[in-house]
Amino acid sequence: MNGFFIIVSVFLLLNIALGLIRVWRGPTVADRLLTTQLFGTTGMAILLVLAGYSKDLTLLNVAITFNVLAILLVISLFQVWKKRREKANDDT
Amino acid sequence: MTIHELITVILLVVGCFFFLAGTLGVLRFPDLFSRLHALTKADNLGLGFIAAGMAVYIASPWAALKIFFIWLFTLLASSTSCYLIARFQKEQEQTKNGKEGE
Amino acid sequence: MSVLIDGLLAILAIYLALQSLLAPRLIKSVFLFFAFGLALALAWVRLGAVDVAITEAAIASGFLGVLFLDALRDFSPAFPAKQKNPEAAHNVLVKNNTKSLLLSRIPLGLGLGLFLLIALEAVWKTPEGGGLTAAAEAFLPESGVEHPVTAVLLNFRAYDTWLEIGVILMGLLAIFAVGGIKVYRKPNMAAQDPMLRQVIMFFTPVLFLFGAFLLYFGKTGPGGAFQAAVLWGAIGILLHLGGKSIIEEIPRWLRQLILTVGILFFLVLGFLFVAGGNALFEYPRAYAGLLILIIETLAAISIAAALTAIFANLNQMKEDPNETESIN
Repeated sequence: MNGFFIIVSVFLLLNIALGLIRVWRGPTVADRLLTTQLFGTTGMAILLVLAGYSKDLTLLNVAITFNVLAILLVISLFQVWKKRREKANDDT
Repeated sequence: MTIHELITVILLVVGCFFFLAGTLGVLRFPDLFSRLHALTKADNLGLGFIAAGMAVYIASPWAALKIFFIWLFTLLASSTSCYLIARFQKEQEQTKNGKEGE
Repeated sequence: MSVLIDGLLAILAIYLALQSLLAPRLIKSVFLFFAFGLALALAWVRLGAVDVAITEAAIASGFLGVLFLDALRDFSPAFPAKQKNPEAAHNVLVKNNTKSLLLSRIPLGLGLGLFLLIALEAVWKTPEGGGLTAAAEAFLPESGVEHPVTAVLLNFRAYDTWLEIGVILMGLLAIFAVGGIKVYRKPNMAAQDPMLRQVIMFFTPVLFLFGAFLLYFGKTGPGGAFQAAVLWGAIGILLHLGGKSIIEEIPRWLRQLILTVGILFFLVLGFLFVAGGNALFEYPRAYAGLLILIIETLAAISIAAALTAIFANLNQMKEDPNETESIN
């Protein structure tokens, strides 16, 4: 069973590694933000699997911490874009 | 292998399939909106399957509640970010088109 | 078997660290840095240091990420309309910087090599018997808490923690000194966008509750004041981003009280112990658990307020659109 959990986590890690290609290729900023969403969701899944593997339920707290702060990042990025665009519009 | 473990294995494999589908969608789909669609739907479904599998495996009500909340928060966070990204992109494309049209 | 995942994590973490340093565009760097934070947190989990993993998740991915994104707004020229004078000035600045970098490359390389050697030596000489783990475990019953990390941070080495709270306050003072260089128009987007407002309203109590849980859980497991503080600070940042800056809306004296209450209570308590004939931060055994909980709560409130104030000061907003220009 433990070997199976390891295989699943390695598979999910490879998913993250594949997602990095999209960070490199872009082409827009939105595409790159998209991959952070991919990393976040996949990372959550890896944490859950590792929690079962090591039978350490405190890992769930790590997952929740990531979770509730992810939304902060997204909102702040959006606000930053918004402000930048307002600035650009003011200049034109 | 007990019946619990069998259920866990099946759920995790199904979850992994959806994760793979999501990643392939992100890499292969042609434009941002379809990539968003692939990622937000497939990955969250995959996470749901993996969460269910681990909840069955750990088999403690308190942990199951936490796992459920992890999934719920991820659903909320990623649907919000999907909406915000899509909205931002759309507005940006509109302003670009408007400027070119002038 | 598990060496597979550890090896992959190590490769991924080092690759992401290198790439986020070498990436040609800052925005790419920042996104690679997020991924790096995630890989690092997973590595800490694999090393069995869940406390550090939570801190990594909270501070590196959450708070630092927000600060980086905030800095990004000023630096990357995404809009061609903006490429006028500021851009030229920026280029000159960059050229000067590269010149001075070239000159200092040799001492920099030497220093880095020395640092790496020292780090390698430290890794090489890791104590065989697990260092001070046994000593910390032995005195655990007297510390008033059940988790060794919390016992070390708030009882055995409380002095360090006290000074760490001070360091955050010092950082805030530095930002007070240079902050408010740029003042932006108050975003009214959150008020218009119903979805965003609902999300902020939903996550505010969740952040508060989970922070309180981590604070209390620190007694028995991974968690504690700093992690809780970041989650509580995130509330302030969320509300600030939503256009409602709580730190600027409360009265000045109350703000200063909240910012300093953590370090002050710690200090007063220490002096009371000294006056009572004990060492600084030597808690009476019967009340140790309670005192640690009170100290942690107050420290978390102070740190949360400091983090919010740091963000709010870097991001001052004005209602009047005429004042959006920078006031250098």
